[in-house]
Amino acid sequence: MRRKLVALLACLAFATPAAAHRLKLFATVEDGTISGYAFFVGSGRAHGAALSIADATGKPVQDMLTDAQGAFSWKPPAPQTYRLTVNAGDGHVSEATLERSRFGGVPANTTSEESDDATSTQEGVTLSQAQIERAVEAAVARQMRPLLEAYEAAEGRTRFNDIMGGIGMIIGLAGLALWGSNRKKGVS
Amino acid sequence: MAHIPDGVLSLPVLVGGGVLAAGAVAVGLKRITDLEIPRVAILASGFFALSLFAVPVGPSSVHLLLGGLMGIVLGPAIFPAVFVALLLQAVMFGFGGLTTLGVNVVNIALPGAVIGTLCAPLIARATPKRAALIAGLASALAVACTGLLVACSLALSSADYTLSARVMIATYIPLMIVEGLVGGFCISFVKRVKPELLAPLQSEAAQ
Repeated sequence: MRRKLVALLACLAFATPAAAHRLKLFATVEDGTISGYAFFVGSGRAHGAALSIADATGKPVQDMLTDAQGAFSWKPPAPQTYRLTVNAGDGHVSEATLERSRFGGVPANTTSEESDDATSTQEGVTLSQAQIERAVEAAVARQMRPLLEAYEAAEGRTRFNDIMGGIGMIIGLAGLALWGSNRKKGVS
Repeated sequence: MAHIPDGVLSLPVLVGGGVLAAGAVAVGLKRITDLEIPRVAILASGFFALSLFAVPVGPSSVHLLLGGLMGIVLGPAIFPAVFVALLLQAVMFGFGGLTTLGVNVVNIALPGAVIGTLCAPLIARATPKRAALIAGLASALAVACTGLLVACSLALSSADYTLSARVMIATYIPLMIVEGLVGGFCISFVKRVKPELLAPLQSEAAQ
């Protein structure tokens, strides 16, 4: 019996490093390309999940599957608001919306050969307005990505305090029920 | 898995699940005696905490459901227990959703209630070893029924969110095995240490 208990405890201990069970979708825009991944909060990525991208009017524009890391990437033809839905195939569905503003001012497929409005720097290297904007967009997107990822991961995390709070709530309800039933008995 | 989020199911399924769950919770509450309240609360807490922990399995991730175990110990009182735990999970962690609460309660608690009510008299009479075997099988069967109910809820709603058979088989079969083991261990432990917990509820109510 003790061996069985130990085995049961081992199973539970094995289960604890991963917390929570909820599908989430992380998506961001880098240089006009939508990329991201689908993940279960606290327990790994959703690989082979169906991802569907719809435009602002809700019309589906692209369907694909997430790869072995749960990741995907797609370059939209034009910057606009896109709505991403991922379906893990077992009743887990999650959505994310990428607003038009996330694509920045630079259209996704501009060529950088516009030297008409070039500004010269001190060294004499010329950079067009569009090139500067694009470089800034790329740098900011690169710096923001870990932050956005950390935020998405933290948002759904189950904290020990919350779990203890929930258990306390259930104990409180039980106490309330006992009190109520005793009071009823006292009256009758 | 069994926590279906908001915005996936159609209105008739949501309303049907909600009405069914409300009725079942009311019946369950009516049948709880004073002596059973702590028992219901303990199992509700256990379900609340344990079903938050998931492990990656294949392309998805799974967590314990404990439907069979709760059904054996609680009978119809499983409905209020699951309702409270799922409500807290939805409000505190965003697992499942408030609109789908009824459907989720039915999906998890109904198989447990039916299978548990049928198995409880058998387990009460059996030796600890046999009790463990029955409880293990009951737990695994409850998981399979929950999977079936989830599949039905989604299939009845719309074709957009159909279940992938590949994912279902890859995730539910390991879960059935683990649930069977957990259910078997727990019941055999209770049977040795505190067998009166598994005695039929009627006799307790009559005392």
